[in-house]
Amino acid sequence: MTYTFDQSNQEPPKQGLLLLQILILTLFCVFALRLWYLQIHRGEEYAAKARENQLRQEAIFAPRGLIRDRNGELLAVNEPAYALGLVREDCKDIDATLEQVGRWTGIPVKDLKAVYQKGRRRVKPFEPLILAPDLTFEQMAIIEANQLHWPGLEIRIRPRRQYKYGVMMAHLLGYVAEANESEMSKDPALALGDEVGKQGLEFMLEQQLRGAKGLRQFEVDVNGRKLDERVLKKPKAGHEVDLSIDLGLQQLVTDWLEGEAGAVVVMDADTGQLHALVSSPSFDSNAFSSGLSTEQWNTLRDDPMHPLQNRAIQSVYPPGSVFKLAIAGAGLSNKMVDIHETVFCSGSLKLGRHVFRCWRRGGHGKVNFERALVESCDVYFYKLGKKLTVDRMSEFATACGYGVKTGIQLPHEKAGNIPTREWKRRRFGERWQGGDDLNMAIGQGYTLVSPLQVARFVAAMINGGKLLKPQLLKDDKVAVLSQVPLSDGERALIKKAMRNTVDGPRGTARRLRTKGVDVGGKTGTAQVVRLTDELKKLKDEEIPYKYRDHAWMCSYAEKDGRRFAIAALVEHGLHGASGAGPVVKAVIEYLFNGKTLKRPPKKH
Amino acid sequence: MAFDRRLLFYINWPLLGLTLLLFFCGVLNLYSASGFRLEDGMSVAPFYQKQLIWGLLGMLGMLVIMLIDYRHLRTLAWPLFWFTCITLVAVFFMGKTIYGARRWLDLGFMNFQPSEMAKICILIIGARILSKEPDRLNFIRLAYVVGIGLIPAGLVIKQPDLGSGLTILMILGGMILFHGMTGRVFKTLLITIPALLPLSWFVLHDYQKQRILTFLDPTKDPLGSGYHIIQSEIAFGSGRFWGKGFLEGTQSQLRFLPEKHTDFAIAVFGEEWGFVGTMILLGLFCVFLYQMVVIAREAKDLFGSYLAAGVFFYFFWQILINMGMVLGLMPVVGIPLPFISYGGSATLVNFCLVGLVLNVSMRKFLFKQ
Repeated sequence: MTYTFDQSNQEPPKQGLLLLQILILTLFCVFALRLWYLQIHRGEEYAAKARENQLRQEAIFAPRGLIRDRNGELLAVNEPAYALGLVREDCKDIDATLEQVGRWTGIPVKDLKAVYQKGRRRVKPFEPLILAPDLTFEQMAIIEANQLHWPGLEIRIRPRRQYKYGVMMAHLLGYVAEANESEMSKDPALALGDEVGKQGLEFMLEQQLRGAKGLRQFEVDVNGRKLDERVLKKPKAGHEVDLSIDLGLQQLVTDWLEGEAGAVVVMDADTGQLHALVSSPSFDSNAFSSGLSTEQWNTLRDDPMHPLQNRAIQSVYPPGSVFKLAIAGAGLSNKMVDIHETVFCSGSLKLGRHVFRCWRRGGHGKVNFERALVESCDVYFYKLGKKLTVDRMSEFATACGYGVKTGIQLPHEKAGNIPTREWKRRRFGERWQGGDDLNMAIGQGYTLVSPLQVARFVAAMINGGKLLKPQLLKDDKVAVLSQVPLSDGERALIKKAMRNTVDGPRGTARRLRTKGVDVGGKTGTAQVVRLTDELKKLKDEEIPYKYRDHAWMCSYAEKDGRRFAIAALVEHGLHGASGAGPVVKAVIEYLFNGKTLKRPPKKH
Repeated sequence: MAFDRRLLFYINWPLLGLTLLLFFCGVLNLYSASGFRLEDGMSVAPFYQKQLIWGLLGMLGMLVIMLIDYRHLRTLAWPLFWFTCITLVAVFFMGKTIYGARRWLDLGFMNFQPSEMAKICILIIGARILSKEPDRLNFIRLAYVVGIGLIPAGLVIKQPDLGSGLTILMILGGMILFHGMTGRVFKTLLITIPALLPLSWFVLHDYQKQRILTFLDPTKDPLGSGYHIIQSEIAFGSGRFWGKGFLEGTQSQLRFLPEKHTDFAIAVFGEEWGFVGTMILLGLFCVFLYQMVVIAREAKDLFGSYLAAGVFFYFFWQILINMGMVLGLMPVVGIPLPFISYGGSATLVNFCLVGLVLNVSMRKFLFKQ
């Protein structure tokens, strides 16, 4: 075969050849410039980045500080949790691996994929992306045995908070959970996946408990194995914390409140230390540290019994007759009470067109200061309230710590409410009425207090008038916040009345009597709603639960220089003495006689 | 056919030498890039060995192609073109699906990718048509030439393989530029193409859009799609002037660098051999390309010139796009660097195309009596 060359136009296009040469030149210049820029101009910078890449630093977890009760019983510890991580770069088939992980852990593959997609943006390809934060020991064992067949899977051990008495201590200790975005941005020491206190003491003492992470530096080889590991900074364990709480007492009270909604506070009257602080019902704080599902959270949040609420400090109630102690104090303090003077109680008091009734329909007859307290005569206090008026009552109640936060080291404390004329005008746009004075004097109306405030007030009545800061830690120093404006003699009168409420033949708190212990008390029955005549006819057991009165009992108990103030509230417990009294009695027995009274089976 | 000794004499020896030099640089670099895989046991044969075998096959192909007069291709151009188009159509019916794209034909002993053949075919048919065009292209002639190219390009894009489809069009486009067009056509294109470019955004897949966005700001997603570029720049930059030395690159040895044996192979080179190394390599590529210009100029017929120009563009675009991407000047596109990136069939094709231009260079004497 022969070929002839096409001779019509032998010359290749001149401009075309020139174009090719220009293209080569451009190629060279652009890339030479770029290479110079990357390798010479910014070389130093990139070299540093390469070194950073190669030498990796990793935080060493610091164990969170242990928490104990006052007797050294461990309450919060750290246990290893096994997390399953996936190193993307080592994984050959992500989909198949995720499906296998789903089979092992029972987590739906859809969820695993979502976690994976989310993690991809945060976690470097050669670092483990945590797929399952909390494997059971069995799951961990299965995965460990099969790990060879599934490159990229890695089991990581992380510390996890564990509460020995998760339900009993939930309101005090709170819980920890993974730090969220806003917490991480506020606190540079927090990293993704770190646990942080969210509630209770875990939240309040976060800085003490957390400790400081250490730092480890290592080089990573091609298989992701750590070479040449060096500890740059040792981790510092978090401070250990001893609570003032007595686990045994806490347990006892918890048992007594089982099935009820309520709160009990037991305070050392001299130091302010709390030996028990129970709110019922409760929840398990362990559920939070291993990650709560939305479903679980919704169940807790929407529970009609509000288990998340710490009723001792976050719930405020009308104090009912318990408030008469403060009103009596106000009368003494303002020199408007003559303790020998008697008031006649006919069973009711008329003010304008309204009739204010005493709880005892038939009336108490002639009542003096002490008897009024011991038998809780309403008419006596109506009259006293009328004399004092809201101004003196609220001034004194505020000085007793009512309507003010106690300063306890727990989050979300409520101050309650002590009304004033100004307050009512602002709140309702109405003038303060004479009837309001009467209602306030018996602890009804607008007054709202927390069980902790009541306990603190009672403590002040027996400790020389000191209003203490309630303390939760054993090492906390006594902090006297203020002095209740009562003289020693005046306080002695109130204390004596409390004592006779227990010891006297007609006292309302007789069930607290304890041999060898000086016990005083005051009952309270706080109306939840104004009972209609129809409801009033019903027997106690027939009143619907939500309309039943709240039961209060506050008490002091002392023996051999040990003094305690106790406040108990049982929601819808009907009567102070029968509803809240038994648990207080059990507390006193525990504190002074070392007895653990069992709660009788509940009658319905 | 009697062997003419002048055939040997006129071979463009610099091109042959450069090709071999580049190839061995590539194998050496792959040795470093695949170093860790030797101990890992994850891969059966290390990449550099496979590359070496493919290279030897390629050289054999190159020799065979050199022996056969390139002018046969002129007669074969059209049959070859239609044959390619048929295989591309066949892919739709008999193709093997890998990673969700139907691109391969299973030949029993190997997977054959017709889109690779289409790239070669386009430069042959382009050379055939354009060498017969007496004048600069006007609108009608341009439409005809582009229309021919759109047949295989469209089929390839449909597979879907946008990268190869665009490569086909870019090779043909380069050849059209080489040929020249009338002033009016040139000016019109200069205005309309940039104006139409933004519209293509709506045709792109999400991941393609993502790549473009990442290119505009890689730090936005440093562990996701921006990771490749950031690590590649660190690899180059940390090489600095002299480089870290052969087998000493931490970016690649500790595998921070992704795709380091394929698309990002030159980043390994840049890290280990530094600015000195990369400038030499860049220089080698430029001289390599220049030799093709020389061959195009000296070829004894226009078909030969256009063939050389076509091969020029075949390599030019790959070098431009790959290095542009690795150096962070372009979005990430999966295009390998000739002779440096690992890839069996690509290496084979590269050698064969070098063989084709050498073929043209060998026969430049035939007309000189």
